[in-house]
Amino acid sequence: MTPTFDAVVIGGGATGAGVLRDLAMRGVRGLLVERGDFGSGTSGRYHGLLHSGARYVVSDPGSARDCAAENGVLRRIAPGCLELTGGYFVATSADPEEYLDGFAAACAAAGIAAERVPLGELFAAEPLLNREIRAAYHVPDAAMEPWELIDANLESAREHGAEAWRYQAVVGFARDSDGQISAVELEDRRSGERRSVGCGTVISAAGAWAGQVAALAGVELKMSPGKGSMLIMNRRVTNAVVNRLAPPGDGDILVPVHTVSILGTTDITVEDPDDARVTRDEVAALLADGDRLIPGLSGARVLRAYAGCRPLYEESDVSDEPSREISRAHHLIAHGPRDGVANLWSIVGGKLTTYRLMAQQTADAVCASLGVAAGCRTAMEPLPGPAAARPYWLGMRLADIEADGGGDADLVCECELVTRPMLHAALEAQPDASLDDLRRTTRLGMGPCQGAFCTPRAAAMLGDRDDGQRALLGFLHERFRGTRPIAWGDQLAELWLETGIYRGSLAVETLNVETPEARDADV
Amino acid sequence: MPTYDAVVIGAGLAGLSAGIGLAEAGARVFVAGKGMGATHWAHGGVDVGDVEALSRRRGHPYARFGDAVGPALTAHLARLAAAGLPYRGSPGDTPRLVPTAVGGLRPAAILPEAQAAGLQPWAGGEGLLMLGIDRFKDVWAQMAARNLARQRWPDGPAEVRWAVAELPWVERLHNLTALELARLFDDPDWRARALAQVRAALPDGTWRIGLPAVLGLARHAEVFAEARETLGAPIFEIPSLPPSVPGIRLFEALRERLLAAGGRFQFGFGVVKVERSADHVVAVHTQGASRTLRLAASEFVLATGGIAGGGLRATADGMISERVFGLAVEAPPQAEWLVDDPLAEQPLESAGVRVDARLRPAGVRNVRVIGSMLAGQRYLSERCGDGVALASAQRAVQLLSARSAWSSVRNVAS
Repeated sequence: MTPTFDAVVIGGGATGAGVLRDLAMRGVRGLLVERGDFGSGTSGRYHGLLHSGARYVVSDPGSARDCAAENGVLRRIAPGCLELTGGYFVATSADPEEYLDGFAAACAAAGIAAERVPLGELFAAEPLLNREIRAAYHVPDAAMEPWELIDANLESAREHGAEAWRYQAVVGFARDSDGQISAVELEDRRSGERRSVGCGTVISAAGAWAGQVAALAGVELKMSPGKGSMLIMNRRVTNAVVNRLAPPGDGDILVPVHTVSILGTTDITVEDPDDARVTRDEVAALLADGDRLIPGLSGARVLRAYAGCRPLYEESDVSDEPSREISRAHHLIAHGPRDGVANLWSIVGGKLTTYRLMAQQTADAVCASLGVAAGCRTAMEPLPGPAAARPYWLGMRLADIEADGGGDADLVCECELVTRPMLHAALEAQPDASLDDLRRTTRLGMGPCQGAFCTPRAAAMLGDRDDGQRALLGFLHERFRGTRPIAWGDQLAELWLETGIYRGSLAVETLNVETPEARDADV
Repeated sequence: MPTYDAVVIGAGLAGLSAGIGLAEAGARVFVAGKGMGATHWAHGGVDVGDVEALSRRRGHPYARFGDAVGPALTAHLARLAAAGLPYRGSPGDTPRLVPTAVGGLRPAAILPEAQAAGLQPWAGGEGLLMLGIDRFKDVWAQMAARNLARQRWPDGPAEVRWAVAELPWVERLHNLTALELARLFDDPDWRARALAQVRAALPDGTWRIGLPAVLGLARHAEVFAEARETLGAPIFEIPSLPPSVPGIRLFEALRERLLAAGGRFQFGFGVVKVERSADHVVAVHTQGASRTLRLAASEFVLATGGIAGGGLRATADGMISERVFGLAVEAPPQAEWLVDDPLAEQPLESAGVRVDARLRPAGVRNVRVIGSMLAGQRYLSERCGDGVALASAQRAVQLLSARSAWSSVRNVAS
């Protein structure tokens, strides 16, 4: 029998998870489907910043106000996902004078608490900053953990009766005689099995992929995915977020996230949101700009490069503008009046910081169409999870291990102190997890060696699973994707050591993956 | 007057072999190693690649000295046998497939005796048992057996199974490494109990047993003989992640030969300064624990390895530098360094220093470059790294001995 849900939400990023939770809290029985792992798209591939709003205060005041308000909401409802680092906006010699002049007033107008910081105080707090910085403001930026945020939203949604399925790609829609979507056709991306899910309404929160989802319903929705590339430095370079006091540009932000700092972000319009390759030019541009914030940063060790695609929406059919000029504000598209598909909605644009507001506005409209009167409660009701931030540092895990007396604490991943019991627990919760899924739950392979040592150890823990070789090779490929663009210095030597082990001693390239069981599995 | 006839920089297979050869030829030689070389992370076997084919390849180091591989290898194996670390296989043997720790198949021809049973042809009906050790995270018997069972392995075993043995006392240790296990096996009492437990863990039937490469370090020969006898079956070690116990045995055997031949050795300190006079190197300085050591010599041998060994270093802008003497490095352009597939041949493998027929780089008259620093080889893809190291080391020894400049210095000095 085909299961039926009041609403099917497509996309397991922060927005989709937020929509699912909001609907569930209003009594709408929803299902979320995600083609990969939850948070494996743009939400899991951003710089980790909870915006204060100051970034957009000049270019897009509406967005800035939204960010400022949601920043306050998330501090209240998701304290466990935040590290309240604070942030600085600093004017370097390369930044325009007039931007600095207008900044404070613009922040005040948008309701953002920006406070001028004496330079002595700034350099005492962040000694590595460029001494040529001539002005600085403190703003309520923070670091935000996307996977925990998504998990908390999904957990809350489940508590209210919703379901969320991962590795389910939408491959088509069944339409009834008046053009409405009656069912969503899904394909399990690991087993290849297909199934159909009946639906009252469909909400596409597929982000940069929303155009592809809309096309399956015969609707044209032009997205303009804006690829943003970032570099992971191998340590926390600053303790607070640092932004350039300039119109948004490349290499203009440094975010401390757990044990590392993220240097971002480029912006390049791409055709295909799956094209998240980081180019050498982007890396060079990021490092050159990073040096303006922290002199010598380009000589520091870079662990990895990665990119995400902003879910930017093309408002006109033709746009030659670089994507940063397109509004960051979000758009809720009702495909009924626009395209004649009355029960399809797309929520596009926006930022992770405003995910909850986007979800609220989407749920408001959907509920109105369904005749559901209940109002939104997500701004007040805290998400499940700890009541205070517990930013991750390596000593924390060490303390946990030692508190247990060491026990069966064999380290599978020495860089991130991931133990055998931690992986067993993760595999128990998700028996068909890929090594990359395990990485998102445990930080496996995220340290300096980027999986060189833990990959076969973790693959061996999959036991008799038929896709064991695929899991191993898939993780090696995934890790390589991030180290290849930054292959120089110590990280190249590390990569070469790894290559020597895998090709020289283990002959991993000779593994035979062409078995019927594994052929359709996801790499 | 120089203190040494020759200073060898680098203590991997190439550097140690050159040091031994020079010392055996009567030179006063000093080998300075910055850190553990490829021996400590490689599998311990000797890979020479297809010498004949590579010798015909323009620009490959073998094109200059491929003919030296056979004699160099013979000398190398004799040295190791004399050090109590016998190897099996000869120059010219056709490689066969041996199983790896993840269940891959690696071509090999010359292996230490403890790994050599993996090279033997499989008799009809003969099965392979992959043996794991409980609590040792770098052996993956179940995964390896499963993957091997799926391999297209012509003339391979009739069946692949796996078993895990519990060893005495190790539950008291956390994060057991190959090195700790090898040291435990060196202890005769522990070993006797451990081998009895391994034997009890074996399934019925007759097997050839592949087990982790942890059978002793200092007393390896004794451990291996006892294991073979107790288990009553052909056994072979399978190397896994570093630290490589077979590689450490190899390193120790070569170091012993170097010292026995009268060579001097310093390990753990890199070159921090080079003294030059026109186109000659006069001395190098290494940074010791408490002082800087000045090593003056008439000849220098550079054996610092490639990118993994630290002999070459790349910067973000795509420059690759040779780190001791600043020699010119030949490499593909940065855009072509790496291809999409991490397990495919990488163009960057060929990066290195180009030398003349006498192993001399451009610009310096008394430096010889040997080993994986040499341009034009792809030591991973061609599996030729050990052959290049041994043959270039031997060629360097011949070239320097033929000059015999240092022997007169030696006579004057003594």
